[in-house]
Amino acid sequence: MQQLEIWRTTTFRLTLAYGMAFAIGVVAVLGLTYASAGVFITDQMNEIVVGQARGLHDVPPTALAATFRELEAQDIRHVYYFGLFRPDGGWIAGNVHHLPQGTPADGHPRELRQPGYQPGARAVVERLSSGELLFVGFDAKVLSGVRTIILSALLWSGGLTLVLGLAVGAVLSLAPLRRIQAMQRASQPILDGELSARLPTSNRRDEIDLLAGIANGMMDEVERLLWAVKSVGDNVAHDLRTPLTRLRALLYRVRQETGPSAAHAEMIDQALSETDTLLTRFRALQRISEIDRRERRAGFAPVRLQALVEQIGELYQPLAEQHGLRIVAETEAACEILADRDLLFEAFSNLVGNAVKFTPAGGLVSLKLTKRAQGPRLEVTDTGPGVPEGEREAVLERFYRGRAASQAPGCGLGLSIVAAVARLHSFHLELGDAGPGLRVTLDCWPAAMSR
Amino acid sequence: MTRILAIEDDEITAREIVAEFSRRGFEVEHVADGREGLVRAVSGEFEAVTLDRMLPNVDGLTIVSVMRKAGIDIPVLMISALTDVDERIRGLRAGGDDYMTKPFASEEMSARLEVLLRRARVQPRETMLRVQDLELDLVTREARRGGREIALLPTEYKLLEYLMRNAGEVLTRTMIFEAIWGYHFDPGTNLIDVHLSGLRRKVDPPGVTPLIRTIRGSGYALSATA
Repeated sequence: MQQLEIWRTTTFRLTLAYGMAFAIGVVAVLGLTYASAGVFITDQMNEIVVGQARGLHDVPPTALAATFRELEAQDIRHVYYFGLFRPDGGWIAGNVHHLPQGTPADGHPRELRQPGYQPGARAVVERLSSGELLFVGFDAKVLSGVRTIILSALLWSGGLTLVLGLAVGAVLSLAPLRRIQAMQRASQPILDGELSARLPTSNRRDEIDLLAGIANGMMDEVERLLWAVKSVGDNVAHDLRTPLTRLRALLYRVRQETGPSAAHAEMIDQALSETDTLLTRFRALQRISEIDRRERRAGFAPVRLQALVEQIGELYQPLAEQHGLRIVAETEAACEILADRDLLFEAFSNLVGNAVKFTPAGGLVSLKLTKRAQGPRLEVTDTGPGVPEGEREAVLERFYRGRAASQAPGCGLGLSIVAAVARLHSFHLELGDAGPGLRVTLDCWPAAMSR
Repeated sequence: MTRILAIEDDEITAREIVAEFSRRGFEVEHVADGREGLVRAVSGEFEAVTLDRMLPNVDGLTIVSVMRKAGIDIPVLMISALTDVDERIRGLRAGGDDYMTKPFASEEMSARLEVLLRRARVQPRETMLRVQDLELDLVTREARRGGREIALLPTEYKLLEYLMRNAGEVLTRTMIFEAIWGYHFDPGTNLIDVHLSGLRRKVDPPGVTPLIRTIRGSGYALSATA
């Protein structure tokens, strides 16, 4: 049986896809938040540096060093940078000792792309009326703090969403998985030919029930049609047998009343024998449906195959001799099996009868009963023409006669009866090549249900 | 004259049964209803009964078991449309002596009934069967034809015993197959024929009057008369 894995279930895939979409959404929301927060914070920082620079603008340059110290003392967070430089860039005062590159003295706030400053730090440089350069910077501690918070939020929420999604998906998939597996188990008998079996349904009326309902509906129809076809066949066989039997009775009476010397006696005998052939075929057809209809294992009893096979050998001995054949039965004392003795005898009898019929004079028909680990195995081997590989399945069907058999008397139902008996017992029947000849193997133990 | 009761609700089948037995020189009374059939069956006026398995009012199984409980042990041939093996077993267990399924050949039916009638009349305690100069010792299991011993295989012995016990009666291939091998399916005519011809070679060697006769279109008989 093919095993359904949990990650292949629709529910699991749906939950996983949903989880991923959710995670992407979370990332997008957080990313957007981060971007807008960044823009906002950068604006704030620009205003801070510009405002600070403007405040310092009016302080006389000689007093700036003292003002810087005063401001630094108030700056507990250490986010402000101050610097006063000579027009040639030489340091005069402040906590920044080198004028950073890429900050023209135009009074516009810019990002400080210098080692030693956190990315996103802003700074402005202004030229004082006295010619000195005033540098005011603001470190990006807030921005990077916000970034760290958002990034960790991103990782945690994304990861949690995924992990939770997987877990919930697995849990949610379990129940449907169990139902699907129950359905798989329930469908196995149907595959094995038990057409009355149905898929389980619950009263949830969900999509699985809907599908099971559809499948069951289809099975109902298939079963009904098969029965219709079968019963037409059975009824035809049964209905035709009655008038045929009466026809035969009439012919028989005519034959008795005309006496052996009458002119038409021979023709009536022929008509009688043709009617008998017809009756035999209808009887065989009916027999197959009888066997197929029988309750499985009803009427089964312990059977010793050894005695049965020996009896068959003895039954066919004179017929084989008449055909110029040898018939050999080799039997091992195999264990008792639970079976329908009469039907097994009939099946064996048909197998040996076929072998005798199709083997040319001088040949050998051998019956071999061997003990296998699982049970007894019967092999009927002949030295006849055999059955070509392509026809081996077909000869088990009703009325099919192999090319080699088209000349021989018979109706092509013997092997169908054997197949029906094998089906009833769940025995494995196989036609093989005996090189030359046909080997029919009947494994007399219930075949595994798997296919 | 032998009187036979035919309990059968299907009109056409009943007509066939009546016609067949009349032709064989029996006197037949036909009853279509189960309750009436039961009354007639226990009346003691008949030597044998053909009994349909399914009848209106009282079914065949009940009739035969009531008959047996009442101590009426005349042969009962059950005739049924039910072909199942279980049905046969049920019919025989209820007290039927033989079981036939519909449709049937009427001479098969009369052949079976005559074998039943014969079995009911003949005392089964014989130790020696004789048909003309053919003898079969049931104790030593030896066969002799005109004083000359015939060596028989076990199956041939059983066949000869069956033929001799029913000497003069027509025995169909199906009846022979059922009696000797004990199975109830159609084994094909040829299979039984070769067994008979093997036995015939031993029992009827060239130069003696043949005893085993082939009845065309039905079966075999061991002739009591020549």
